[in-house]
Amino acid sequence: MTMKTKILAIAATVLIAWSLKRHYADARVDDLWWILGPTSRLVSVLTGATFTMQSGEGYFSREHLFLIEKTCAGINFMIAAFGMLVCAWWHRVGSGIASMQVLGVSLLASYVAAVLVNAVRITVAMWLAAHSAALSTLSAADIHRLEGITVYFGGLVALYEVARRLDRRAVTV
Amino acid sequence: MNRTLWTRVGRAFRRMALPLIAYYGITLALPLMNGAARSGAAFAAFVDHALIVLVVPAAIIVLAGAVDALGNATVAVARALIARR
Repeated sequence: MTMKTKILAIAATVLIAWSLKRHYADARVDDLWWILGPTSRLVSVLTGATFTMQSGEGYFSREHLFLIEKTCAGINFMIAAFGMLVCAWWHRVGSGIASMQVLGVSLLASYVAAVLVNAVRITVAMWLAAHSAALSTLSAADIHRLEGITVYFGGLVALYEVARRLDRRAVTV
Repeated sequence: MNRTLWTRVGRAFRRMALPLIAYYGITLALPLMNGAARSGAAFAAFVDHALIVLVVPAAIIVLAGAVDALGNATVAVARALIARR
């Protein structure tokens, strides 16, 4: 029973990750409203900029001349976070219900984390774009790439620490 | 101190192993499986991307371990000074 449940859980994890990747590959920017919408709203809260949806392009801020487009969606981060959380909570996969709980909570947490981390990344990118002259030793593309790696990896580490603490607390209760 | 530093860095790597694997998986393994490094020009671009993606997170972990070791050494020195008073 447990082995069968674990194999099914692995299959479900791979299927969810693959579906997200497939959806991301096929989707137009308008189809990614479910992640770009909350992200752009959170960036608005953090920066004070107003983003309006431009069909076929993304969320655009006129005052900052900044476009949140399809590649900014953070789906890859969400997939990485989802896989990582399932691995971190794998010891909880026993019964069918427990597996569904682990998968469901991992998916929800990875979505929330993707929106939060991506909003932080875009906010920092907007700040760097406005202050790029002060960091002129690197090209704008290099700065953007380094910032992306640092924020996304830092986001995964922070999410993992939160997951570990929640797991430890759930065990002791 | 030197040994403590490397112990801390090693501990930081062990602690952050899962996020590191997840990050490398999505940024390196997946593009490789999708054929990102198949042709000549794409291969050169992928190697350039891979080098940065491999080095930056590892450097962050080393830095975190070093900061942790330095913090602990500072606390130990401060405690020793306080105890001497």
